[in-house]
Amino acid sequence: MESNQAPSSMEIEATPSEPNLASGSLLPKPKFEPLKAHEMSDGRVQFRKASVPPHRYSPLKKAWMDIYTPVYEQMKIDIRMNLKARKVELKTRPDIPDVSNLQKCADFVHTFMLGFDVIDAIALLRLDELYVESFEIKDVKTLWGEHLSRAIGRLSGKGGKTKFAIENATKTRIVIADTKIHILGSFANIKVARDSLCSLILGSPAGKVYSKLRAVAARLAERF
Amino acid sequence: MAIPSDAGSEALHRLKTTDPPQWLAPSAALSQTARAASQHLFSSLRPYAPKTPFEQLLVEGFDAEQIWQQLDLQSQPLLSSIRRELKRFEKDPEEIRKLRVAMEGKEREKGLEDEVEKMEVESDDFGEDLEDLEEEEEQQQQKEGKEDEDEDEDEDEDEEGEEGNEGGGIEDRFLKMKDLEKFLKEDEEREYGSKKKDKKKKKVDDGDQEENTEKEEEEEEAGDDEDENGDGEDEDEDSEEMGEFGLDDDEDEDTDELGNARYEDFFGGKKKKPSKKKSKLTGDLEGSGMDDDGEDDEKQQTLSTHEKELAKRKLKIEQMEKSNLEPKTWTMQGEVTAAKRPKNSALEVDLDFEHNMRPPPVITEEVTASLEDIIKKRILEGHFDDVEKPPALPSKAPREVKELDENKSKKGLAEIYEEEYAQKTNLASMPLSFAEEEKKEASMLFKKLCLKLDALSHFHFTPKPVIEDMSIQANVPALAMEEIAPLAVSDAAMLAPEEVFAGKGDIKEESELTQAERKRRRANKKRKFKAEAAKRTANKPQDGTLLNNNDAVAEKKDDEEGAGVAR
Repeated sequence: MESNQAPSSMEIEATPSEPNLASGSLLPKPKFEPLKAHEMSDGRVQFRKASVPPHRYSPLKKAWMDIYTPVYEQMKIDIRMNLKARKVELKTRPDIPDVSNLQKCADFVHTFMLGFDVIDAIALLRLDELYVESFEIKDVKTLWGEHLSRAIGRLSGKGGKTKFAIENATKTRIVIADTKIHILGSFANIKVARDSLCSLILGSPAGKVYSKLRAVAARLAERF
Repeated sequence: MAIPSDAGSEALHRLKTTDPPQWLAPSAALSQTARAASQHLFSSLRPYAPKTPFEQLLVEGFDAEQIWQQLDLQSQPLLSSIRRELKRFEKDPEEIRKLRVAMEGKEREKGLEDEVEKMEVESDDFGEDLEDLEEEEEQQQQKEGKEDEDEDEDEDEDEEGEEGNEGGGIEDRFLKMKDLEKFLKEDEEREYGSKKKDKKKKKVDDGDQEENTEKEEEEEEAGDDEDENGDGEDEDEDSEEMGEFGLDDDEDEDTDELGNARYEDFFGGKKKKPSKKKSKLTGDLEGSGMDDDGEDDEKQQTLSTHEKELAKRKLKIEQMEKSNLEPKTWTMQGEVTAAKRPKNSALEVDLDFEHNMRPPPVITEEVTASLEDIIKKRILEGHFDDVEKPPALPSKAPREVKELDENKSKKGLAEIYEEEYAQKTNLASMPLSFAEEEKKEASMLFKKLCLKLDALSHFHFTPKPVIEDMSIQANVPALAMEEIAPLAVSDAAMLAPEEVFAGKGDIKEESELTQAERKRRRANKKRKFKAEAAKRTANKPQDGTLLNNNDAVAEKKDDEEGAGVAR
């Protein structure tokens, strides 16, 4: 409908201008209004589904409203929880402002499912340049049994202090889920956090990692 | 004597004729003949021996050792008597001639000659045996025992030789004896080694110069014995010293021979053998050489002390030159490792080298006590010698070390990025970190202080910095707000006139008012008052009693009166 309207309006505009330039010059450039998000997908509704792992089920229940509100109101995306299938479903609306909203919301929900907090995951909605990187410990170094456990312990530190130190220094968020590691942040910060985590996996002591982090953090802070 | 002597001589003859190999195997016949021969010899010697307990040698049923002992018993006193005789002859050579005269009995001579020959033969055999034994270099006693026997035989031979040869051989020997003695005396002044050499030379001399050189070995031995005897006679001084060397065990010989305790006596014929060989090989040449040396010795006797010293020095020089040619001892070599020197040799040498380190202090009780005293005293005084670092002047401002926060961040990630963005774009004054706030406060304080100090100096007037703050300002005279010692004093009030009173139109004081204006004012006032009063009564309708009404009426009347009065 809307697409039909546009040419008609165009035609109306064009006809009065034509007799003015009857001398034989070029036709005026057509002026198109930008396509709306709904138009871009040819008027079809788009869906996204994010499956909920069992350990995130109750946190989802607790934080449902915090998830629902920004998605529905600010992103203009329909969101619902399919209890039977244990999935969160997202759907576009016609009045959606931006094409990428759906994807952002899907990423947001997915990030929450990985294990991040809502307040951290919301940053994804607000900022474009944030990414989530996941890797496993075995990608860095093959470890078995006790060595693996010790490596995981080294990563988090006592009471999680090493992890928090890395998070604070590099402005990222880290989730250590058994052998999988997820990092949320901007590209450069993810790199720094990944480097420090890898060095921890490979066996360097926490103190060494701290000193490196301090240097990096100072450098990062100096930029601004 | 005649019959046994014939049997004995026969026995001797038989012994002589037997082949030497036959001696190796023990045979009863040979032993019988030997016994017979020894018996014969014993009895023949008996008249010369002064104190023999045996009439004749007892051989039946006696073994070799016992026969030997008997012979020994006879021979020892015999030897001493012979020596005495020799001494006598030395002192008085004329007696020899007397002897010869006395012994011119031909029968005796013949017999003696026969016996001499036989003796020579026998001594030859014995001499060979002796040589064999000596070559083994075995026990000295054996050797000396045999030497005794040898001397015994030889001396008998010599004596009989003396008697037999008409003084020719003996004279030569005795003369030589004297020369030998002379030489030996001179050699004594030198070291022992050279003396021995001379002796050897003299032995050779004897052997060579005598024409009866059938048995050089015997004569050598004879000469040796003679030398020894001669030396023994001359060196009575040394005999006492040498008496300790009991190895020269024969008592008769001791007094004479101990003085000459020689290497050969102790350690066998090491030097004899080579000397003998030498003599065998180079008989004539050596003899001539030795003759020259003999002559040199004679010359040395006449050297002056200076020349003697020179000779000594020369000898020393030769020795030192010789030692220089040899490789040095390890102590004289430069750097010597343990492999180059003999084992444990460094222990024997007194090494001296510089120690660069002080030797470690020996900890004794006194040392520890003194240390403890010092420690106690210092603790009491509170005087500690801790090394304190000198305060390092900071060349540049210390870098702000951003502490790593190990706690979970309270802000969400979004907020962090939001703040970052805001800071980047300078949208709002970012809530500074704790350190920065403190910095700001500090800088503010310092600025205030500087302002005050500058006011004191008056050199440069700097107005107070304008800080847009919301603060209540009292209408205090400006004087208080300005400098402590102000340049100018102003009466101007702080507040501007508009701030004091903001009003419209002409504002007149009471004194400026005209009468009409005054009246107007009063009228306004009254009206206002009335309005207020009316309000009050309206507010309190419940309380509207007669009293109030009366009061209100009374007030009205008063107002009217007042107003009337005013007019």
